[in-house]
Amino acid sequence: MSDNGAIKICLAASAGGHLSQLVSLEAAWRRHAYFFVTTSDIVSKELKGRFNARVYVVTEANREHPLKVLRLARQCMRILWDERPDVILSTGAAPGAILSLLGKLAGAKVIWLDSIANAERISLSGRIVRRFADLFLVQWAELARPDRAIEYHGEVI
Amino acid sequence: MIFLTVGSMFTFDRLVRAVDEAAGRAAVFDEVFAQVGIGGYRPRNMKFAETLEREVYREYVAKSKAMIGHAGMGTILMALDAGRPLLVMPRLKRFGEIVNDHQVATAERFASNGYVLEAADERQIEAKLAQLKTFVPRARKANPAPVVARVSAALDEIAAKRRARGRE
Repeated sequence: MSDNGAIKICLAASAGGHLSQLVSLEAAWRRHAYFFVTTSDIVSKELKGRFNARVYVVTEANREHPLKVLRLARQCMRILWDERPDVILSTGAAPGAILSLLGKLAGAKVIWLDSIANAERISLSGRIVRRFADLFLVQWAELARPDRAIEYHGEVI
Repeated sequence: MIFLTVGSMFTFDRLVRAVDEAAGRAAVFDEVFAQVGIGGYRPRNMKFAETLEREVYREYVAKSKAMIGHAGMGTILMALDAGRPLLVMPRLKRFGEIVNDHQVATAERFASNGYVLEAADERQIEAKLAQLKTFVPRARKANPAPVVARVSAALDEIAAKRRARGRE
């Protein structure tokens, strides 16, 4: 965190639909300092050009590949150590969840928007992050649980 | 031209092969261009590329009459934004195409609302391709403003707390 109280946001989303949904929240995050973490070099190049921001590319991983998850966790730790974000804002998937968890442990706030692709059940990543998220949003009214702080305010794309 | 895309991350040979075979039987109403993924099945009856740069990808979407893809949100939203009729087939876990079966629900939800056509598996591809020719997708206009407002409020609150702590 900088001294003037401005906050720095880690924008974390896997390439594809996850990232489109994070970009659609631009009006919320662009007033703050930010950097991106995504999973594809092609997408990284595009983000750099469009938002003039630092972009980190990490491994896409899932629970079927524990070694990849370890490698991903190491990459994420490195990024968080270098950047020291105040907030992790993520739409998933696994890299967003790992950044959220590690970021939370390092004192950052976590905002999670579960992907619209999860129509029947909150994503696996989302179900993990929900336990410690500071704000947790879903994009299907049927998945909202106000009593459990799972909020629905519409769809972003 | 019909634009077949499997998305940026993985191959989806079950879909590409089914469309390629349909094209071989002249069961597709227009020429297909396929983006098949790195190391994916190499079609015999259609032109293809493994991957496409984002800009080139957008050009193919713009030039296409209709699209075919997996039931990924990136593909669905790209087609809806461009107003292109889209036939989706969900990736399935049991074929190692994805880590869980969430695309089944995505495909059903968007198909039942009239946004896309859905083929549950490769056996339905040919019949659904016939419908794709005349399918008119329901228009969809996203309104992210309420979610943006909620996230903005949360970020402002975090910033205010940091400022307050900074003054102590």
